[in-house]
Amino acid sequence: MKRNTQFAAAGAVLMAALPAFLGAYPLNVARSVMTYMALAVSWDMLLRSGQISFGIAGLFGLGSYASALLVLRAGMDPVLSLVFATFFTGAVAWILGFAVLRLRAMYFSITTLALAEIFRIILHNLHDFSGGPEGVVLPGVIFGGDAHALYWLCLGGLIITLGVSWYFERSKMHLALTAIRNDETSARSSGVDIFRFLLIAFTVTSTLQGMMGAIQVQSYGFTTPETAFDANFTLLPLAMALLGGIHSTLGPMAGAVLLGIASEWLKLKIPYGHLVVYGIIIVLVILLMPRGLVGLARKRLTGRRA
Amino acid sequence: MKTLQTEHLTKRFLGLVAVNDVSFSLDAGEILGIIGPNGAGKTTFIHLVSGILMPSSGKILYKGRDVTYVPAHERARMGIARTFQLIHPLENLTVLENVMIGAVFSRGQSLKEARKSAEGICDSLQLGGLGRDTASLSILEIKKMEIARALANGPEILFLDEVMAGLNTDETRQMISMVKAIAKERGLAVGVVEHVMGVIRELTERVIVLEAGELIAEGPYSEVSKNPRVIEAYLGGAA
Amino acid sequence: MANKRNLTAGTVIAAVVLGILVWRPTVLIYGLQAAGLYASIAIPMGLILGIVHIVNLAHGEFMMVASYLTYMICRSTGMDPYLALVPVAAITAAFGFGIYKLTIRRALKAPELNQLILTFGLAILLTQAANLLFTSQTRKLSFDYVSASVDIGELSFGVYNFVFVALALFMVLGLRLFLARTKVGKAALAVGQNPRGAAIVGIDVDRAYALTFALASALVGMMGAVFITRSSIFPAVGSPFTMKSFCLIAMAGVGNIPGILASSVLLGVSENVLKAFRGTRDWADIVFFVLIITVILGRSIRGKKT
Repeated sequence: MKRNTQFAAAGAVLMAALPAFLGAYPLNVARSVMTYMALAVSWDMLLRSGQISFGIAGLFGLGSYASALLVLRAGMDPVLSLVFATFFTGAVAWILGFAVLRLRAMYFSITTLALAEIFRIILHNLHDFSGGPEGVVLPGVIFGGDAHALYWLCLGGLIITLGVSWYFERSKMHLALTAIRNDETSARSSGVDIFRFLLIAFTVTSTLQGMMGAIQVQSYGFTTPETAFDANFTLLPLAMALLGGIHSTLGPMAGAVLLGIASEWLKLKIPYGHLVVYGIIIVLVILLMPRGLVGLARKRLTGRRA
Repeated sequence: MKTLQTEHLTKRFLGLVAVNDVSFSLDAGEILGIIGPNGAGKTTFIHLVSGILMPSSGKILYKGRDVTYVPAHERARMGIARTFQLIHPLENLTVLENVMIGAVFSRGQSLKEARKSAEGICDSLQLGGLGRDTASLSILEIKKMEIARALANGPEILFLDEVMAGLNTDETRQMISMVKAIAKERGLAVGVVEHVMGVIRELTERVIVLEAGELIAEGPYSEVSKNPRVIEAYLGGAA
Repeated sequence: MANKRNLTAGTVIAAVVLGILVWRPTVLIYGLQAAGLYASIAIPMGLILGIVHIVNLAHGEFMMVASYLTYMICRSTGMDPYLALVPVAAITAAFGFGIYKLTIRRALKAPELNQLILTFGLAILLTQAANLLFTSQTRKLSFDYVSASVDIGELSFGVYNFVFVALALFMVLGLRLFLARTKVGKAALAVGQNPRGAAIVGIDVDRAYALTFALASALVGMMGAVFITRSSIFPAVGSPFTMKSFCLIAMAGVGNIPGILASSVLLGVSENVLKAFRGTRDWADIVFFVLIITVILGRSIRGKKT
């Protein structure tokens, strides 16, 4: 365990030092990859309880709009708006989870599927408050648009997410969520309050997703209902976590790096419908290698040892 | 005040009455046998007492307190534990982690304390290799792990649902003496659902017989086994 | 007990219906037509959910595929979609059968988690493939009979959309006959209620699943052909129907196919009530979400009591 922490620290330092070596475009790609990585990891965290959320885009966009509107309508400082928007998203998730999590599985999943659309419609309709279909433009980009600062902001969000995921894996949450995922009846008989833990997991992961959304909007200085709640924010993290290997922190990270970089290339080669690749990836991974690449690697390693 | 008492406990599923007006009691230090032909409602009865199912009517009193509608996880915390007939060991967790869960969530122990408690329990059951994946366990080890899991909750009352199923004679003997020892050490009230009558005879002092959800006989095994109604329930219902 | 509840519900509904009829009859008329559309798309999804016990998140996309297929056939041959209906339904049935055999059958052995993600992946795959082939530009076929309307006194309204009501009723009756009278149907019903029991009795469960999928796909294919007679299509046209279909099934209760008619009327009429006013027109698409949350809340409260 000590070695892992050293690894992680070294990795963090390396990541933080990147801006010194990279130009604006690579830094942009890196920010995109880091955002998707955080979303993929946070999605996986809830997945560990057996619940599938299709609402990443909804919570991400909610965080974006919350942060943007706090700055525009309440004159809040952009950095402060990040904090408030993060907790606002968490609060909304808590309320929603409270209503829906008693029924879990398909009811929960499909409700989350509708989230992005519902939030988009709400913000689309509240013209005066939210700027309607044209969206909102912020007075300025956070930190004056300095490429390095934006990078470190995004990195900060990612590190927070990774830290929480890492904590989930090492604390009681890991036992609770794994038990719930495997056999709810047995879990209940061992004293696990399933509803409470699911609510915590859903709230925490949604908060993280809202945080990344807030960081996103402040980094770009504008948003519209279509861009904030873009279905890609659900699709790509899912594909990344699946490809990399679900039920771990490492898997989604690996998937994010692979697919994040590949997506830049794909966007150039297939301008329309390059997302079909992600659909194919999801289907193939589920059918052929449900444990993802990390799972395959683990099997190879333990296979050889045995 | 008995450790556990049910009054007119009934469970209906649409048209079917699975448990019908069962009243019984169980006290600390007792080992009670629960027998009956297949489909008599024994497992349903345990589900009701442990909180996995809610009754249609009737009452369940635990140490004098009405727990009829208390959710399962809270009952586990209060001290009601049970094993499962069809055991699904939690994959992705080691044997130790499987056992620890009750200690963490029912007894509120820290991960470190829970590890120690779980190790102690597994030791008393002679279950080793706690770092293993559950896929490699033998039947006897799976049964031991399941009992350990239930014990990790620190219960005062424990229900064993057909733990002896699938064990050979030696293993069964081992289990019987272990269950006796544990029950005595911890002053538990134990309810044992079993099909193997030899086990019931050796392990229990008192027996209740369920048939089609109803309690049809109660008493020491030697008496109950001669009860004509009980005999008919087993033979008549065997078709 | 249930009868008393049905009676009070029935009287309330009758009162509301009469009220709307008096106030603004077109709301009721268009609401019923919309109900027909929603119901006829939801019923095949309910069939799959009730028998195969999986939620097909790609359901709306199956319809989209059928619509595009109809478009291509009718564009190239000048045929009317109602003529193309039979081949389109057959092709869609084969398509559904193939998808079942290739993908869904494998995931059935795995826990529910994989099935949801799998069908989600399929939905994305189909949507993006359509994007690739047809771009996001909307396509439309025009027919005179679509603008058929009727004048009753001061009232004037379009009647073509009643075809969906007819289709929905046809499906309910047809399925009832099929499930109760035919050998295949009875086998499918048995499998849906108790797969293990059915297998023991000698029913080929896999074949029942495959045929159910084919049948449901045929129905959806038929819907796709009729749909394009009066709506423009685009790759994402199917997804709102997936969500609304699930909403209807949740309201009616899984396995209750006639109940879908009732819940579709509730959805269709509620949406049209909102559409009647300029102020609330844009909020019509939120109705299904409100309904589904209400259903979930209601069930979880009731679940807690039992």
